[in-house]
Amino acid sequence: MSEPHLSLQTIAPGASSGPLADPSFNPKISVKGLDFYYQTGHRALKDINLSVADKLVTAFIGPSGCGKSTLLRVLNRIYDLYPGQRATGEVLVDGENILAPNYDLTRLRAKVGMVFQKPTPFPLTIWDNIAFGINLYEKLSKPDLEARIEWALRKAAIWEEVKDKLKRNGASLSGGQQQRLCIARAIAVKPEVILMDEPCSALDPISTARVEELILELADDYSIVLVTHNMQQAVRTADFTTFMYLGEIVEFGQTEQIFSNPTQQRTQDYVTGRFG
Amino acid sequence: MVTLAKTPRVASTNAVVRRRVRANRIISGLSIAATGAGLFLLAWILGYLLFKGFTTLSLQLFTMDTPPPGSNGGLANAIIGSLLITGVGILLATPIGILAGTFLIEYGRGTKLAEVIRFVNDMLVSAPSIIIGLFVYQIAVAPVHHFSAWAGAIALAIIALPIIVRTTQDMLQLVPDALREAAFALGAPKWRVIVVVSYRAAFQGMLTGVLLAVARISGETAPLLFTALSNPSWTTSMSSPMATLPVVIYKFAGAPYQDWQNLAWAGALLITFSVLILNVVARSFAPRTRN
Repeated sequence: MSEPHLSLQTIAPGASSGPLADPSFNPKISVKGLDFYYQTGHRALKDINLSVADKLVTAFIGPSGCGKSTLLRVLNRIYDLYPGQRATGEVLVDGENILAPNYDLTRLRAKVGMVFQKPTPFPLTIWDNIAFGINLYEKLSKPDLEARIEWALRKAAIWEEVKDKLKRNGASLSGGQQQRLCIARAIAVKPEVILMDEPCSALDPISTARVEELILELADDYSIVLVTHNMQQAVRTADFTTFMYLGEIVEFGQTEQIFSNPTQQRTQDYVTGRFG
Repeated sequence: MVTLAKTPRVASTNAVVRRRVRANRIISGLSIAATGAGLFLLAWILGYLLFKGFTTLSLQLFTMDTPPPGSNGGLANAIIGSLLITGVGILLATPIGILAGTFLIEYGRGTKLAEVIRFVNDMLVSAPSIIIGLFVYQIAVAPVHHFSAWAGAIALAIIALPIIVRTTQDMLQLVPDALREAAFALGAPKWRVIVVVSYRAAFQGMLTGVLLAVARISGETAPLLFTALSNPSWTTSMSSPMATLPVVIYKFAGAPYQDWQNLAWAGALLITFSVLILNVVARSFAPRTRN
């Protein structure tokens, strides 16, 4: 995978220096002044400013309740399903504000795919699980659909395991296989960004290693945003890491710098295991 | 010192264990006794029905209509009547019930309107069926001045409806939100998420609900007395009065003629075992325990 060619600079919250100012940093998503409120009025995100680099892996780390999943769920507006939750500010995907009321959600979700914490295979066959998303956007001929499904399953490194049982129910697979099936399902609609919300937290170590390998491979073609509780996972997979605490971004920078040379004391305390 | 400290602790542990074992024996003993009592009553009913009804079971039951006292006959008109009225009733109730349950979970969740509907529906589940019979009499019998199978089917539909709403609602509630979110995250429109994901995941449970509603209404008598009434001869016309097994049982069992009483026993046996079979089938469709 490509290495980011960036100087070891960091930014303080809201600052416009550091990687964001680097001309080689090509943002796929730019978050500007984002606030997020739950039904209760609780302000879960406070003035978030952040850029997600194109075709690289960006990790969100931080203790439980720090808002990292909430931030992820803003990026494809899945929070829209729950009346009363609202986001203010700007989230630009390819320069367009997805929070604008007239922004087409279907288009957004075609562009920004998501993989959840627990594997969520639909109660359908493996084949139909993948075809479901494709059929929403394209009317492919049978051979084309077949080719696309095989492509997605290969890309998610699960083809060899399921090629003989495509007509079986997706739930019959193991947890790790189900998660890769879900990744294949997200890839099949050809998104540009993939959001992953603790994709390995329900998986055993071997399945976790496979999914991590997959993340590294996928980053050649997709911008990946990864929420993780596992700091080692961030070190192993992410080019950039964002440390969040109490709804704010404490520090954002190259992963190596965040873990070896953080500028903020709270980052230092968290990544060395002193709290969280 | 160690042994000194240990000995009393072991003793008290033993006492605790003994107490738990005793409590456990008492509770499991009571549970087994209660189960036994319930099963005994059920076996008694079924056994008595078999004993009383079996002698009258014959092919004639299915080929001949209900007779006047003292002559040969069967239950054919009542069997077809029950099948028709129950079938039409379920056909009326199922789409409405499933769509209403869908509204409560997929669209109205958390809204005041859904809360009110849910509350009223739960009340309807336990509404006395005779009240529903009288209600349908007022709206579908009195205005047209005659009893009809249609009115009977409407009464049974009103009884089945809240059951189907309730089970649909319960089953859709069991579908994890994560599954819906996953479908929405792919960009699926709401109707597609409901049809492809929610219905598919809840299908077995919803089907069970419909089958249980069939079992419930196929034994209803009171609402049919005011609506479909009865009919001594064979008819499949929904706009005329129609015989049904429960009403025929009600009429024949109370009559002073031995042959009518025998037919009533046979009818009771038919209904009971159909409902039994239907329940077994419904259970076999019921969702397997999830992890």
